[in-house]
Amino acid sequence: MDFLNTLLIGITAGSIYSLMAISMVLVWRSTRVVNFAQAGMALLSTYFGFEAVTRLGSFWIALPVAMVGGALVAALVEMILIRLLVKHSSSGPIAGVAPIIATLGLLGVIRASTSMIWGGQDVRIVGPVSNDGYTINGTTLVFSPLKLLILLTVLVLMLILSLVFQKTNIGLALRASAYSPEIARLSGIKVDWVRTLGWALAGAAGAVAGMFQTVNGNGTLSPDSIEFSLLLVSGFIAAVIGGLDSLIGAVIGGLVLGLMISFVLMYISSGLFFIAPFVILLLVLFIRPQGIFGAKAARRA
Amino acid sequence: MHKKQSRDLLLFILGGVVLYFLSGMVDELRVYQGASIAVYVIAISSIILLTGYSGQVSLGHGALMAVGAYAAAVARIELQAPIILCFAIAVLAAAIGGALLGAAAARLSGPYLAGTTLALAIGLPSLANQFSVLGGEQGLLFDVGFPPLSLGEEFTQYKWFFWIAALAALISMWAVKNILSSRYGRTWRAIRGNEVAAQLSGINIARSKILAFTISAGIAGLAGALLSMTIGTVSPSAFPLALSFSLLTGAVLSGITTLGGAMIGAVVLVAIPEVADAVANRIGSSERVTTNLPGFLVSALLILTVLFVPNGPVEQHRARKAKKKNYLS
Repeated sequence: MDFLNTLLIGITAGSIYSLMAISMVLVWRSTRVVNFAQAGMALLSTYFGFEAVTRLGSFWIALPVAMVGGALVAALVEMILIRLLVKHSSSGPIAGVAPIIATLGLLGVIRASTSMIWGGQDVRIVGPVSNDGYTINGTTLVFSPLKLLILLTVLVLMLILSLVFQKTNIGLALRASAYSPEIARLSGIKVDWVRTLGWALAGAAGAVAGMFQTVNGNGTLSPDSIEFSLLLVSGFIAAVIGGLDSLIGAVIGGLVLGLMISFVLMYISSGLFFIAPFVILLLVLFIRPQGIFGAKAARRA
Repeated sequence: MHKKQSRDLLLFILGGVVLYFLSGMVDELRVYQGASIAVYVIAISSIILLTGYSGQVSLGHGALMAVGAYAAAVARIELQAPIILCFAIAVLAAAIGGALLGAAAARLSGPYLAGTTLALAIGLPSLANQFSVLGGEQGLLFDVGFPPLSLGEEFTQYKWFFWIAALAALISMWAVKNILSSRYGRTWRAIRGNEVAAQLSGINIARSKILAFTISAGIAGLAGALLSMTIGTVSPSAFPLALSFSLLTGAVLSGITTLGGAMIGAVVLVAIPEVADAVANRIGSSERVTTNLPGFLVSALLILTVLFVPNGPVEQHRARKAKKKNYLS
């Protein structure tokens, strides 16, 4: 029973990490920036969701509110910060580190501002269904209706996203701009706007990850909570395991990471909460420095 | 070259003398802040060496500082080692950690490296809870002892801290400056400029990168031990992720390739909490604004610097002057 519990917890957590990793990959593909502020943006959108829940009372209205809020914030960040960054700091010794530093700064700004606005009070988001585990043959599982719902929603979102990418013109434009901005521009794609769109999609995906991470945890929301540090690290690690460039890779990376963390905590030690993802990351990078699904040549960005 | 070096040495000694007299004239709080500035100068110079010269990013220097601090504290408690030896052990332990991390880092680049070191910064301090010898969440005491009596009765504990930290800062700045102008420094700059060209001219890329990480980590370890000296304890909470970010901010504010600018970044980092306090008091805001204002200011400053003065104030000034000169002639 322990084994089944661990497996199911790992898959649920992993699906949330997958969403986070997808948003990192979307940003990386559109602007070649690893957005360390992604978890911060997810945090901010989750607060939007919290405001919606308290005002309107329904989780299912709050989720789209958080997504739209997250998308708007991300689009604004791309239009202001990233475009300025490309303009001002794309040469000299700082060029390689400028995007990293700028997004870290953004993370700090978002953390501090959310603490100023919502900090110090008990902020709770109640999930749409119960988080009490199912009972089978008299034993209670950790797996609950809420966790099932999270899995299903993540699955549906991924399906929609892959349909958008494979079957629509917008998806084609997104893929073309990621593959070669120059050629995309020559064939009449407005690459700048496609980039903004990529960020907006990432913001929406991050918002869902933030909302689910909160209700899947103990329901409380705080800028300094472990849940969001974990989202920050895991989203990145899952994306890197998958190769940063591949959406499928991000999904698999997230699931692998969720499962491995879950099993390490269960069978080795629960004190390894933060060090386990790090060890997993190092292992993967030692075997394949470009991630499992990454392009052959090592990236130099 | 020789002449320039002895002139630099003279400048460093002169700086030490000025600091000595200054420390006698200001009150205790300022002396304490002076010690903090010295610690930050050391830590920032380690980032400048790594990021500005060898072109590698580390968001995990807070963790390397923790390694140094714990090593020093354990040496002090378990072996009753003299202070100087404690600091040497701190440097050594962090350098070994840095060599391991550097071996991983040499295979990675750009965002991969940044993320790996980020995960380290979050993960490593929590590891202290796993071993009882490291004292768990409470941490360890790190006591460098009272100042020697020969310095007089008036000589306070903080002044003693300041002396140790300032001396360490002068020595390590001196060392870093020399390393950067040695052939290793040139090798790193060559790699940062163009890795393929550097390799073609016979530079062993991986070895140079690992060396840069090792040296930088050793210096960070020294800064960590000094930091815990001024606090008096070593605990996981003294080395939060925010510390690693502050160091990066300090380095960017100083100018990522301007070693001499390390002072600017360090002063700003120490001054920001005070400025934030003053601002918060002036506008009479609530407690949660006051506690978060320093973090907000550090991060906002970081973004603004990267956007508008990407190479640091010193470099910017130099570039403007050069441009003006070209224009005139």
